Amino acid sequence: MAKDLVASGNTVIGPSILINGKLTGDEDLTVRGRVEGELTLTRTLIVEPSGVVKANVAVKNAVVSGVVVGNIQATESVELTHEGRMVGDIRAPRVIIVDGASFRGRVDMGELPPGRSLPERSTPRTQLRPTVRSLPAPPPRPAAASATPTRPGNVTAVTAVRKPGGMPGIVRGETARTPPAPPAPPVMAAGAKKKVVLKKKK
Amino acid sequence: MANTVIGSSIVIDGEISGDEDLVIQGTVKGKISLRESLFVEGSGVVEADIETQNVEIAGRVTGNIQATDKVELKADCRVVGDVKAPRILIADGASFKGNVDMDTKER
Repeated sequence: MAKDLVASGNTVIGPSILINGKLTGDEDLTVRGRVEGELTLTRTLIVEPSGVVKANVAVKNAVVSGVVVGNIQATESVELTHEGRMVGDIRAPRVIIVDGASFRGRVDMGELPPGRSLPERSTPRTQLRPTVRSLPAPPPRPAAASATPTRPGNVTAVTAVRKPGGMPGIVRGETARTPPAPPAPPVMAAGAKKKVVLKKKK
Repeated sequence: MANTVIGSSIVIDGEISGDEDLVIQGTVKGKISLRESLFVEGSGVVEADIETQNVEIAGRVTGNIQATDKVELKADCRVVGDVKAPRILIADGASFKGNVDMDTKER
């Protein structure tokens, strides 16, 4: 039975296996168990749903269906599938985060020549946003991460994310933000403050 | 499917532990502890202390081997280190240097 896997030529870390240390290689690696430490491959890393990787990862491609805690640097692509959960920074020219994936960290797709890259990247990015939106309790970071290339403001991005079209969302985010801020000081002035204090004493 | 394979281009420097069979075609340095069988194939290089139930070695191993059941040194293997197990098999053609201890029950 071991021979069958041998024939496939891929490395598999089984579900009960724990590797603690440094792992390097020039072939595809499938993780169903745990790998902790450092992971460097010139090919593809596949973290299956049962797999846990707590490591700094440098690979060509990464497909995460399990759990990754650590930074991933890929020369080609990083994909978080609907079962994937990750905390850490991603650095890769192509980053795919599908609906259902959970991610907290930064995304850096690097610098791309403006003319060529925009049409290519605009398609995946519109797919990206719903993913981040659908997260149950997204801290500002994931939204910021996927949105950083377009917009700098984190808060705006989070609220804007609700709508598929970028423009109305942005307007909302800003309107939502601006009204509370200016009215607040005048209301709080004079009598209002005293009332607040009294309530606290009770 | 519960098998773990370390492919021929893989190098692991550290510790491997687990409860399933492990096949090594690549290089492992450090320590290996399993509750099942370890297979070091012809291309496999292990520089580690090994604690398992069974070991089958066709590749190179440098380090001490302790098995609760059996250690099998196959033809063409090269092993340097002490071997301790109730059953130890050394095939014709195997190269081995180290102590053999089959007397595990007394310890």
